[in-house]
Amino acid sequence: MIEVRDLTYEYPSKRALDGVSLRVAPQTIVALVGPNGAGKTTLLRCLAALEPPFSGAVSIDGRDTRKVPREIHERLGYLSDFYGLYDDLSVRRCLLYAARSHGIAPALAPAVVEKAARRVGLADRLESKAGELSRGLRQRLAIAQAIVHEPKVLLLDEPAAGLDPQARRDLSQLLLSLRDSGMTLIVSSHILAELQDYSNEMIIIENGRLVGGQPIKVRDDERPRYVIELATARSDLRQFLSNAGVDVVEADDHRALIVLTHNAGARAKLLRDLVAAGFEVASFSAATKELEDAYFAQLGRRP
Amino acid sequence: MNPEFQRNLWLELGPRRVLLMIVVLGLVFFAAAVTGGDFGPASLAQILYYLIVVVWGSRNAALSVVGEIRDRTWDAQRLSSLTPFEMMWGKLFGSTIYNWFGGAICLAVLLGYRFTQHDAASVAISLVYYLAVGVIAQAAALLASLVAVRRRLTHSRFDIFTYQLVGLIAAVAVFFVWEAADPAGALLVGRKSTESVPWWGQTLDARSFLLVSLAIFTAWTLIGCYRLMRLELKMRNGPLVWLAFLGFIGLYVAGFDGWLTQRQATLRWDAVELRLGLALTTYAVLTYLMVLLEPKDRVLYRWLGSRLGEGSIRSALWNLQAWMMSYFAASIVAIALLVRLTATEGGFGADASLLVSGMGCLTRDVSIFVLFQTLPGRRRGDFSAVIVLIALYLVMPYILRGMGLDAGLAYLYPQVTAPLWLGPVITWAEAIVVAAVAIGRIALSERAESREPALA
Repeated sequence: MIEVRDLTYEYPSKRALDGVSLRVAPQTIVALVGPNGAGKTTLLRCLAALEPPFSGAVSIDGRDTRKVPREIHERLGYLSDFYGLYDDLSVRRCLLYAARSHGIAPALAPAVVEKAARRVGLADRLESKAGELSRGLRQRLAIAQAIVHEPKVLLLDEPAAGLDPQARRDLSQLLLSLRDSGMTLIVSSHILAELQDYSNEMIIIENGRLVGGQPIKVRDDERPRYVIELATARSDLRQFLSNAGVDVVEADDHRALIVLTHNAGARAKLLRDLVAAGFEVASFSAATKELEDAYFAQLGRRP
Repeated sequence: MNPEFQRNLWLELGPRRVLLMIVVLGLVFFAAAVTGGDFGPASLAQILYYLIVVVWGSRNAALSVVGEIRDRTWDAQRLSSLTPFEMMWGKLFGSTIYNWFGGAICLAVLLGYRFTQHDAASVAISLVYYLAVGVIAQAAALLASLVAVRRRLTHSRFDIFTYQLVGLIAAVAVFFVWEAADPAGALLVGRKSTESVPWWGQTLDARSFLLVSLAIFTAWTLIGCYRLMRLELKMRNGPLVWLAFLGFIGLYVAGFDGWLTQRQATLRWDAVELRLGLALTTYAVLTYLMVLLEPKDRVLYRWLGSRLGEGSIRSALWNLQAWMMSYFAASIVAIALLVRLTATEGGFGADASLLVSGMGCLTRDVSIFVLFQTLPGRRRGDFSAVIVLIALYLVMPYILRGMGLDAGLAYLYPQVTAPLWLGPVITWAEAIVVAAVAIGRIALSERAESREPALA
């Protein structure tokens, strides 16, 4: 769906992106992470055909951003980190404008507006003015504007910044539902915890370069990751798990990070075997810091 | 309806604002009618029209894109599927719709009054004039703001005022030219009215000529807005429209040779030389204007160099900037004029020497603009280049004359020298040195980055 080849972008005094190449499969959510100033926003703007690359190429849905930027604009939704809204317009009119300006026919526009408002939980606020909404609701309206035309690709730059925990949870669920409806999403953030909930892959940018050279798979719904912790250290933990046919990501005498099929029976059997072999299992749970682990593993340093 | 226009209607034409405009203007005209002072309703309507449509309208037009950038809504608009034409007219007439609403009330009063004094044709011509002056002021302000948007990201209140000022200057120019052809209006500007205009050897009715000229220049301003909107929407512009404009403006201005000879009987040039001279001057002015306004993008210059190096002439020509095309047009006309002057002067005379020196200065000056964009602190490059040109053309000549070194003026701007070839040699030597340094710095920056730019 998204292909970037040797992308370089320069500001007058700085090279912001340096030879970035990546490929994003359809219907995935990719986390774009990296420290402030790493080049995340610039990469998103290049993907959105808002900035022409100095060299290299970007294609979205098979279309080159330099050759047909307007076709790219039609096919994607983009929410910038500092977005604006028309405060004097009602939510309905904001969404109507977004729909009509994305080519939705006048007769269809009211229905797509209702749908987008329902998706983000603003159906009961359609007549409120945008300027009267809380920060969380403004964020929802901005996302609704970006998705009202059902884009194939959605780019979100720091979408959860400033949101409360409930709003972040709602955002995660919304992004997952958008992916399930067929969209491909790239979500930029420097808060790893929030990306954990919904992203399948991670792109790490540092100093304008892609760390590791390619997107890193951080979550596989079919083969999720689990953490096993022992009360008493055992040097043969890794060997035992390997012999049991389990993929071991990393392991030491106390702890192992493993990949297992999404099957309760398989988990129960492994736990039974571990206990039977004399391992004092203190916990066996789904890994909650996969993305963070992968991030620091790639950067080669721990927090 | 155009969604951008519709959005502006929602924002600008709320019932309360509409009522407010009707009530305020109604009270003002009523007061003027009952007091019977110097300003009757018609005179007041004319003044209010200029204030509401030209002054206030040009500010709203200048803000139509800059305001979106300030409010961080411009990216979302650029990512819409609106065409550049829809975006342009949606903004131009949408952001000013409230001004046009007020202006329509003023025009109804003004033209209603005129209808009692003049025939319908005269009223219709006035209507066209008022509409055109409003559109040209607002379009010029929008054009200026779109030019500025390409050069910088932030826009202060003063910046916005300067964009508005461009619209006001355009309107004032139209006003004075138009009034000069108006027997009644000419009295206002203290001149005798102009009844005819000599153009390309023809004597044309002044009002008809100005009306057509006004319509054509309004169209070119709108085309300029459209082309800049295309760039804002990340589309590319080919060279053909600018070349067409160069062709038009060269022919238009060259036709005023008769107007020059009417006022300057001692001119020694014939009609052909005058026409070539007028066209050359126009292209030189456009070269300076565009090299100042256009972003001097070293990435583009390097890419052009690589295209030319590879022999992809068509690809390079397609991406030339407007100042480059204007410079080439000036060069072609200069060569034609040089050939003509050499023939009529019977050799390389004083005028030919000044002409070649002038082209050397033009080349040197545009090279200075490009060079300053390659130096450290290039964000202020244009400002520095303008300061250097002021020093070259105003300050240094003053100093040299004060010191009795008049011979040194040939190093600053075109001068008749002895021998005649010396002046051209000096200015072209300067031009070659500055151009070589500028090109060298662009090439060096390419080597430093060791990347192949890929714009096409």
